[in-house]
Amino acid sequence: MRIDRTQSPWVIATVALAIVSTVAYVVYAVDTRSGPRGGSAIGLTFGIVGYALMLYAGLLGARKQVPTWRIGRAQTWMRGHLWLGLLSLLLILFHGGFAFRGPLTLVLMLLFFIVIGSGILGAVIQHYVPSLITSRVPLETIYEEIPHVRAQLREEADQLAAAICGPVSGTGAEVAGLEIEHDDRERFREAYLRKVRPYLEDPETLGVELSDARRSTETFDALRRLLAEPVRGVLDDLENICEEERQLSRQIRIYHWLHAWLLVHVPLSIALLVLGGVHAVMALRY
Amino acid sequence: MSDVQLTIDGLQVSVPEGTSVFDAARMYGIAIPTLCHQQNETPVGVCRVCVVDVEKARVLAASCVRPAENDMVVHTNSERVLRARKTLVEMLMADHPSPCARQRQSNDCELETLARLEGITEPRFPRKISARGQDNSSLVIAVDHEACILCDRCVRGCDEIRHNDVLGRRGKGFLAGIAFDTNLPMGNSSCVSCGECMVSCPTGALTNKSVVKTVLPGEPVDVDELQQLSYFQKVSGTFLELNKNAVVRRQFRKGEIVCREGEYGSTAFYIMEGQAEVFLSTPMAHVNTERHGTGFLGKMTSRLFGRREERRSEEGRRETIPIDAPVDLPYDHPVATLGPGDLFGEMTCMSLYPRSATVRAATDCVMFEMLRNVLDIIQRNKTLKAQLDANYRRRALDDHLRSVPMFATLDQKFIDILRDKVELVRYTKGDVICQQGDVADSFYLIRLGFVKVSEPHPGGELVLAYLGRGGYFGEIGLLGGGIRTATCTALDHVEVVRIHGEEFHRMVGRFPEVRRSLETLVRERQEQNRQRLATATSMPLDSFLAQGLMEAQSLLVMDLERCTRCDACVRACADAHDGVTRLIREGQRFDKYLVATSCRHCRDPLCMVGCPVGSIRRRNSLEVIIENWCIGCGLCAKNCPYGNINMHPFTVLENDPVNAGRQMAVVKQKATSCDLCTDLAEPSCVYACPHDAAHRVEPNEFFRWVGTPLASVATEEAARRT
Repeated sequence: MRIDRTQSPWVIATVALAIVSTVAYVVYAVDTRSGPRGGSAIGLTFGIVGYALMLYAGLLGARKQVPTWRIGRAQTWMRGHLWLGLLSLLLILFHGGFAFRGPLTLVLMLLFFIVIGSGILGAVIQHYVPSLITSRVPLETIYEEIPHVRAQLREEADQLAAAICGPVSGTGAEVAGLEIEHDDRERFREAYLRKVRPYLEDPETLGVELSDARRSTETFDALRRLLAEPVRGVLDDLENICEEERQLSRQIRIYHWLHAWLLVHVPLSIALLVLGGVHAVMALRY
Repeated sequence: MSDVQLTIDGLQVSVPEGTSVFDAARMYGIAIPTLCHQQNETPVGVCRVCVVDVEKARVLAASCVRPAENDMVVHTNSERVLRARKTLVEMLMADHPSPCARQRQSNDCELETLARLEGITEPRFPRKISARGQDNSSLVIAVDHEACILCDRCVRGCDEIRHNDVLGRRGKGFLAGIAFDTNLPMGNSSCVSCGECMVSCPTGALTNKSVVKTVLPGEPVDVDELQQLSYFQKVSGTFLELNKNAVVRRQFRKGEIVCREGEYGSTAFYIMEGQAEVFLSTPMAHVNTERHGTGFLGKMTSRLFGRREERRSEEGRRETIPIDAPVDLPYDHPVATLGPGDLFGEMTCMSLYPRSATVRAATDCVMFEMLRNVLDIIQRNKTLKAQLDANYRRRALDDHLRSVPMFATLDQKFIDILRDKVELVRYTKGDVICQQGDVADSFYLIRLGFVKVSEPHPGGELVLAYLGRGGYFGEIGLLGGGIRTATCTALDHVEVVRIHGEEFHRMVGRFPEVRRSLETLVRERQEQNRQRLATATSMPLDSFLAQGLMEAQSLLVMDLERCTRCDACVRACADAHDGVTRLIREGQRFDKYLVATSCRHCRDPLCMVGCPVGSIRRRNSLEVIIENWCIGCGLCAKNCPYGNINMHPFTVLENDPVNAGRQMAVVKQKATSCDLCTDLAEPSCVYACPHDAAHRVEPNEFFRWVGTPLASVATEEAARRT
């Protein structure tokens, strides 16, 4: 979600609530002789409200499972998740008086920091990375379609190559309508089979020269110098196909950045909520 | 009657008084070439090719009109005659497009044959073809006015032999030609397609259109048998011979499928004997076929409540589903019966639309299956047309009138009055049914085909609506100022029920609730039109017309700088539509915005044209929706220029035709397109986007976001298309 001016009401509300909570906490902390404790009425209130906000933030995942339910727009839930989730950290810190007593509390707070940290990281990523993918991957496609698009690109490249040197799987053959020297045809075939085809076969292999834009340009320039005029049009097309492949690889990488943080954020959030519940029951009962 | 004695080419002949020289010569085996004369027509002597030299006569005489006289001495092959005949043929050939269509088709153009016999290879006179043009409006006969030699054989064939009085003459001098009615295109005239003119024509001016390329399955019907049927009696035998492969007799056993909904075909069926059941076999759901009627309780509930609970609010009173047959199907139980004398499949045959319903023989049946040239012949046949119209008036007019919600309350007595008063009118593609500004004198109810309602607009035409079977128009003019407010044009073969103004006013006077409903509807339509015009005039029309985006009423736009590619929009769409998404997160990019592939609810919804069952329609709130009774023919998807309608396959269980009593899985499909989730407050894709990236916007607003002047967008778009 992009953090922009449209978030102002939420920012203002969160900051206002944070100030009110802080004032309340300071007054409470100063007035309490033994120091702030989670078990006191005010500490408990901070804890309950903080946990409620955590639960609300956690419910975003459930909300996403029922996208058509008219229970508030998803973006409202997302904004609430962001800002109230952040506020919950402050309230929980006030609840415990900035002290983490006992192993469960320690684990809880550790989890909480990781969850909040990964959430902030996610917010930052989702603020900047969509622009990056938009500008750096003009030929972006639907993520799930990438394998299919790649198969099509390979097929297209094979057809282009076949137009010069005959079927790429067989031995070199004369192609009607093209006046290309046998040597040129063989050179093209070798370059295609040694450089282009392996790259298209596995574009994610590291260190391949065609996976790098600059080196790819150099490679194709060299081939253009080496091969006769009729082949150059095909080389241009193959270069474009390689560029599209690079963009798809880039899209996959950026897509992973966009969503990989969720692998940390979501399970730890669930663990946090469960352990938070355990902590609440144990604290209230025992 | 006494005989006359004369000499022809030295031969003494005796013929009854009144016999022409041409016939006298023919009776004694002396052939005189001619072009304008035919034995079964009154001679007119216009071509002068049959000239003969009569001794002591001042000039050469046209033998076809010159009566034989006593002691007359006639030379048919004198030097003078041969020279004159050759000159005449040369002059005719000078403006004849040789080889003409007939010469090309069957190598028997009489003029070109004569020219060959006369040894004319290259005329002495400069060739100049009269620019009279061609007329291809008839389905069965091609008219090449340029090949016409003005012999009038067709005119006499039409008037004297068939008594149809359709053909006549038009123009003067070099531009003179034959004309149908008041110089209308042949297909739009009152021509009954009997073929007599074509059979009479000596050249390629009137030729048979060879539409019979396919061999229809079934038993060929010979010409004699056809001519015994009342509606083929007045059709030329030669013409039927030329078209005989275009009609076959089909025998169907009880339970056999005659045609299936959604299939593309090119034939119509006329039921001779037996009864057929017409129904929709595609499940009535969009798209989930399992939602209702599963399990014992579900099935019982479905039976008890029909489909009423699924209706949209504005279709609460819908009673029928329009199909390509003389009857409509009841909405809640879409099955009807057809019997002898019923014709079905007209739209498929005439306009090549997909079949609108499945037809199954309810008893053993005999039907004629015909291609469109034969259908055209019988549709133009007065006997059959009267029979079909009578069938329609008797059986379908009630349903048809009552399918219009506001007429649902008309009492039977009044419908009986209307039954004889209404006129059934046919239009061919491109005909203007009524023109904006004309006096409003009728109300129209569409029986067959599609009508475009449009208004002229600076720089172009603005389409207000496409109306299909069951649609109606003309009420605004009749209830308003008496002037047509829009132009209505036939998009294909259209048949309408025309209720004249007098009857219409009597009807609304007698039924105040009908008047009230109509007035409300008029106000709604006027408001919609006003809004549409306002939208159209608020943007530069060049841009509006230059690109598809401006045709849209609602674009699904993704802000790519906000979109995290989480696909929540796609999942929401699928969730809201039985698991089938109606949007694809791909499409044209403008700056940082992506216009997703999802229905744009175009102002000019081309997708609506041709739907054989009228299941794609525009709601009052202007969005285009696909109704549950879609038969999955795919025509709308094909028609959508933006690829925004998808065909979704699904499996249903049907009776196995091979193994009786068993069921088999059959894959069917239905068209799906974005319905803007109108039953919900907001489109689900927009509602479910957690990042505020998905928006449904009007094109104007979108281009304001982009901050690009419309004109430049239009230019870019035009360049891209080029």
